[in-house]
Amino acid sequence: MIARSNRIALLAVPGLAFLAIIYALPLVMLLFKSIQGAEGLTLVTYIDFFRDEFNQTVLWRTLRVALLTTLLALVIAYPTAFAMARAKGIWLTVFMVALVLPMSLGVIVKAFAWSILFRSNGFLNTTLQAIGMTDGPVRMLFTETALIVGAANVFLPFMVLPIYSVLRQLNSSLPEAASSLGATPWFRFTRVTLPLSLPGVVAGSAFTFSLAISMYVIPSLIVGERQQTLSMLIARSFLYLRNEPLGSTISAVLLAIAIFVVLFSSWLAGRLGARQ
Amino acid sequence: MFAQATEQRPPAHRYLDVVGAAKSFKGTVVMDNMNFRVAKGELVSLLGPSGCGKTTLLRIIAGLLEADTGDIILGGRNVSSLPAHKRNISVVFQNYALFPHLTVAENVAFGLRARGMSKSDVKAPVAEALALVRMDTFADRPVSALSGGQQQRVAVARALVVSPDLLLLDEPFSALDRKLRETMQIELKALLRSRGITAIFVTHDQEEAMGVSDRIAVMNSGRIEQFADPSTLYAQPASPFVMDFVGLSTRLTGHVIAQADGIATVKTHVGKVRANSQLVVGTPVQVGVRPELITPDPSTEMNQIKVQLDDVMTLGSKTVLHGVTTGADKFLCELPGIRTGYARGETVTWGWAVADTLIHEVPA
Repeated sequence: MIARSNRIALLAVPGLAFLAIIYALPLVMLLFKSIQGAEGLTLVTYIDFFRDEFNQTVLWRTLRVALLTTLLALVIAYPTAFAMARAKGIWLTVFMVALVLPMSLGVIVKAFAWSILFRSNGFLNTTLQAIGMTDGPVRMLFTETALIVGAANVFLPFMVLPIYSVLRQLNSSLPEAASSLGATPWFRFTRVTLPLSLPGVVAGSAFTFSLAISMYVIPSLIVGERQQTLSMLIARSFLYLRNEPLGSTISAVLLAIAIFVVLFSSWLAGRLGARQ
Repeated sequence: MFAQATEQRPPAHRYLDVVGAAKSFKGTVVMDNMNFRVAKGELVSLLGPSGCGKTTLLRIIAGLLEADTGDIILGGRNVSSLPAHKRNISVVFQNYALFPHLTVAENVAFGLRARGMSKSDVKAPVAEALALVRMDTFADRPVSALSGGQQQRVAVARALVVSPDLLLLDEPFSALDRKLRETMQIELKALLRSRGITAIFVTHDQEEAMGVSDRIAVMNSGRIEQFADPSTLYAQPASPFVMDFVGLSTRLTGHVIAQADGIATVKTHVGKVRANSQLVVGTPVQVGVRPELITPDPSTEMNQIKVQLDDVMTLGSKTVLHGVTTGADKFLCELPGIRTGYARGETVTWGWAVADTLIHEVPA
């Protein structure tokens, strides 16, 4: 006789099997290629990868872009989530639609729309020159800044929604209690609302960082070959260079970063949760 | 002349003065021209059913809700336009609203820290406040580890440590079980008295209101029906609503058929009832009587009524007889101690003194 809880656990088997066959197995095979040398197992591809100055530049750029994207998204998302948590009725619907609808619009459409905005004779440059901020056109397209702005735009909902859901569930009498105890709105925010919403901030940041570090389409469209990221390097290794060990190695590095982010954020969320 | 004399009363009698407060939500008037006055050191309850406006009034006083019109004067200072954090009014919330990310001591320190006191300066007052509610040994615990009664004590300590000008308590006992509730009521009342705190309780429980307060404002549909001390409220309810809401009573409707020397005779569908009243013949009225004023051995000059005994409840400290009239009205007769000799189904005559009849004019 199997315990009832164990039988319920059996329900997870199809999902796990699906993940194992479609995701885990090919991934392991791929990663195995990165340590498969001509004479047995080797770490030489890793050593080569990290020694290469170009790869180092790409690795740091990828981390920097992901981090700045996360920060930018957080700064924009928090006030939005805060306003949404207070919104009622039609306004909440408006916020939600405004947030979720662009997700259904493919990244490619967005990227071409940005190019209209960012190019040298685009809207932003014409406006800046018209108001006399600059003399000539400023290069915006194909820069890291454009990439960060574009990525933060695409991933914004993944930052807003977790923060929103935490703020929404926040017991409304907590900020009220703070006020009645003499706390100014700023003191109340920094000592009550913000600390209590940190689990949402951690979750949103983990989502956004994971998405940003592995993004491929957005940098391909916005910065192209000029400023490569790890994902583009992987694609290039497999598609153009036909260097499977290199592609596998970079994939492993990316995976390691992703696993670290997931573990760190769950640990952080757990720690924050334990205090509450 | 009298109006002027009222104006010159010592300010202590109108320590808190709510003048003409009104509030509407989306076009629905929940409170209109509310006037409410509390003396310094007084313990007052706002009593009424849910939706009567008691919580709205509490929130307006606290500054958590803005009144559409009207003024809130506290200790001679008009606080109407001040935000909650500048009013120095502490609130104990129904669910206590303790900060879940802070320890017991940090919760109590919150108000002092918000007032700019340093971490080391708050230690002594926090320890004192926790000792006051006998929670000093729990200082470093997370609040999630506390029981309901302990949480309430911490909430009270947190509210009192800042020396508020006024303490508001929103259904502070409703989350506690019955036994604990009574203990906490006694404890809290003694604490507030000893510190001379002016406090307003919001409650829907009339026993709680009578237990903790000097005066009770009975609220109904956004108005105060009667604002009086518990004994007046019970013995001389100003309206059928107050009579109904405060204490048990039996009600009969009818109309005055005779008026003689201040005694009105009311005809009801189960017989005549006399009451001390100047109401004139023909007035539609409601008469009632408190269960403990009914006697199973009436004298001839009393109001009398025939009932059939429906149930006998022996509660230890009292025995409650349930009687039903021929008109299906339920009467309760409360007798002190344990009584025997009453059998269900027997028809008996009960009675009560004419002076004990509660009488109110009602819309026909």
